[in-house]
Amino acid sequence: MFLRLVADSFTRRPKRKMLTLAALALGMAVATAALSVSLDVGDRLAQEFRSLGANLLVTPEADSLPLEIGGVDYRPANAGAYLPEADLGKLKTIFWRFNIKAFAPILETQVKTSLYDLDYFPDPPPEARYTFIGTWVNHKVEIPDGTTYVTGIEKTNPWWQLKEGRWFSEGKNECVIGRNFAVQRGKFRNRETQTEPLTRDDLKPGDRLLVYKLKSQVPVSLQIVGVLDTGGPEDNAIIAPLDVAQTLTSKPGQYRRLYVSALTKPEDAFARKDPKTMTPAEFDKWYCTPYISSIALQISQELKGTDVRVIRRVAEGEGAILTRVRTLLWLVTFAALLAAALAVGASAAASVIERRTEIGLMKALGAGSGLVGVLLAAEQLLVAFVGGGIGYSVGILLARLLGQKIFGFTPEPKLFLLFIVLVLASLITLLGSAYPLRRASQYDPAPILRGE
Amino acid sequence: MSDSPMFWRIVRRLITANYGRLFVILLALGAGAAITSALLNLQIDAKRRLTTEFRALGANVIVAPRETNANSGGDTLDQGLLMKLPTENAGKPVPAVAFLYVIGEVAKAGEIHHDAAVIAGTGGQGLTQVRPGRRTEYSAEFEKDPEACEMGAKAASQFKVHAGDSLRLRNQGREATCKVFAVVATGGAEDTQIFTKLAAAQMLADLPGRISLAQLSVTGTPDSIERFIAALAQRLPGADVHGIKQLAQAEGKLYNRISGLLTTTVILVLILTSLCVMAGMSNVAIERKNDVGLMKAIGGSVRRVVRLFLAEAILMGIAGGLVGSAIGILGSIWLGKAVFGVAAQPRWIVYPVSVGITIIVSIASAFPLRRLASVRPASVFRGEA
Repeated sequence: MFLRLVADSFTRRPKRKMLTLAALALGMAVATAALSVSLDVGDRLAQEFRSLGANLLVTPEADSLPLEIGGVDYRPANAGAYLPEADLGKLKTIFWRFNIKAFAPILETQVKTSLYDLDYFPDPPPEARYTFIGTWVNHKVEIPDGTTYVTGIEKTNPWWQLKEGRWFSEGKNECVIGRNFAVQRGKFRNRETQTEPLTRDDLKPGDRLLVYKLKSQVPVSLQIVGVLDTGGPEDNAIIAPLDVAQTLTSKPGQYRRLYVSALTKPEDAFARKDPKTMTPAEFDKWYCTPYISSIALQISQELKGTDVRVIRRVAEGEGAILTRVRTLLWLVTFAALLAAALAVGASAAASVIERRTEIGLMKALGAGSGLVGVLLAAEQLLVAFVGGGIGYSVGILLARLLGQKIFGFTPEPKLFLLFIVLVLASLITLLGSAYPLRRASQYDPAPILRGE
Repeated sequence: MSDSPMFWRIVRRLITANYGRLFVILLALGAGAAITSALLNLQIDAKRRLTTEFRALGANVIVAPRETNANSGGDTLDQGLLMKLPTENAGKPVPAVAFLYVIGEVAKAGEIHHDAAVIAGTGGQGLTQVRPGRRTEYSAEFEKDPEACEMGAKAASQFKVHAGDSLRLRNQGREATCKVFAVVATGGAEDTQIFTKLAAAQMLADLPGRISLAQLSVTGTPDSIERFIAALAQRLPGADVHGIKQLAQAEGKLYNRISGLLTTTVILVLILTSLCVMAGMSNVAIERKNDVGLMKAIGGSVRRVVRLFLAEAILMGIAGGLVGSAIGILGSIWLGKAVFGVAAQPRWIVYPVSVGITIIVSIASAFPLRRLASVRPASVFRGEA
């Protein structure tokens, strides 16, 4: 009989129930969409922040003080310490290895250059010095567990974009030149006709470049395959595979600086504590949280003899903005929940107020206040479950749409959200109908039935 | 409206007949309005605030000598240029610091052995803004010293120097001393440098009145920063003004992503909230069947009846909208403080917009009443639903 009464109220006035259902479904759709976006967006945004470049810098511990101005190191060629390239695979064995998104070693040196034509002898190298950067591009790293990982400078420094041509391939004598270098070292092309004025063309992919170590007359011949635009000091430099730089500097298998781009959790008050003063439990918690400082410690444990420094401007800028945006999104989510709750509550309340006559009749027929309450609550719960379910599906679709539009990814539907949404829907409807229900169960049936 | 006193009397009765219902309607409409205005206000404010937050990344515009490159690092600019830099962009101050770099020899006071290090003379306002980092040691007392200087973390550990120690600086026979008031860790080249007063570096380099470059931290949207650079380049024909591509590109991308995310989420939430409020309100409205039946029975034309209910809906919309939006704006001021640490500025345009939206939603929720035109009074009174 109980079930029949509940079922009856649905079949008798489907339109009314549809409206309550619609309000609930819409409210829960907002909640689901906002919740799933907020849950996913933090990780997504953290990835986006990697376009700011590396947030960790690894240098030799025993290094002499670099004399760096505007990206150029003025130290004498042989000063300073180096690190072994072979160790780099270990980076992907640290506790937070999956948070290491990219890394690239750098070996820099000063060189002189001259141009090379097949028809002519090489120009004598002019006095001008240029920075020569050896690094990885699309490099396959052997990881100690037997797998390989592809990374390089184009991933750590995504703003290094090629204006022309392509990146060099490793194992070949190829290089990429900075945009300003291409203009400054442009070559005289029309040399066979003496009468014409000399015109100077920019260096282009396909040209050959001779690179001399300082105080050396033996050049390395490189083919230019691309022109690089970084907006930084690299625009004046020559960039080549790391092994070419190692040969040039006679430092086989070594590098000087390593850029690491890691996904991190923004630092909070706990992360700023000095790990040395932490209790063992605190230390474990700190170590197992992807704070930039704990990742830095883990890297320095794997790569012996290194000094791992946090690039503050990137790490802290990222942390500040990420925290703000996350709070903001949670706020929007909360607002959405609140709006949904109030509208659904209003709808639930209305549907109870409207049924005074029915309640009066039931009571006149001998139903107790408790039974009436339970009956109506059961009805509302049924609506909440159906509405919540529909709202969840719609919300997931909306979240997909949002994710795709903004980040080009689809957030995974999370089942635990369904649970949250159903609980929320039931709670809100019950709360919304609680007061009118209480009032209703106290009604005296007689005046209601008389229509007063 | 010839019988307007009667009309308004009926409207008043419609509204006040059932306080429970009135409360429910106003709550739904008011909450909708509050959330609309709070989100709109917060959203406008957040976009603007975001550009400010990006300045945690430090300098994004550099003024350097023209035609400079790695091999001719000696080019310098006139120090007077610092005075020609705009002090604000889009209402926000622009910190600008001039740097003069010298490779000199440095020793801790009392030690004989000197080591080469980069000495950066700095002048202008806002060094900590253009060069973000973390001061691991700091002493406010020594900062006031006329010979105060700051040391990069790497350099400090190399020379075993702490805040309060004195340094001897020399370059080609010229000498200076300075007192370290802070040690700063940036993770960049600055970690290896010593930051002195501009005049000290100019004396060491024997380049009075010259600077190597100026760094600016310009607040604004990516477009506004580009315009700033173009305008400044025109004003300083002798110098090369350029943005730092690393930051410009990432900032632009992040700004678009975040503001896109905010805008779409807010719009989505607003649409769904309106629909939600509308559905809830319609539920309340349909309940008026009896009233409509009665009015028709005593001779009200459908148009008049509908007009009555529309008037009621508009009044409710205005009341709910006015109160709710005001609460929402006040709320957003407080929320802005919670998120950004600075109270959000109320945008007055938000108020009428959100009241308008509320009235529209309220009218739209009265829409199902039109169907009541087909209500037959007789069947209502017989109690047939």
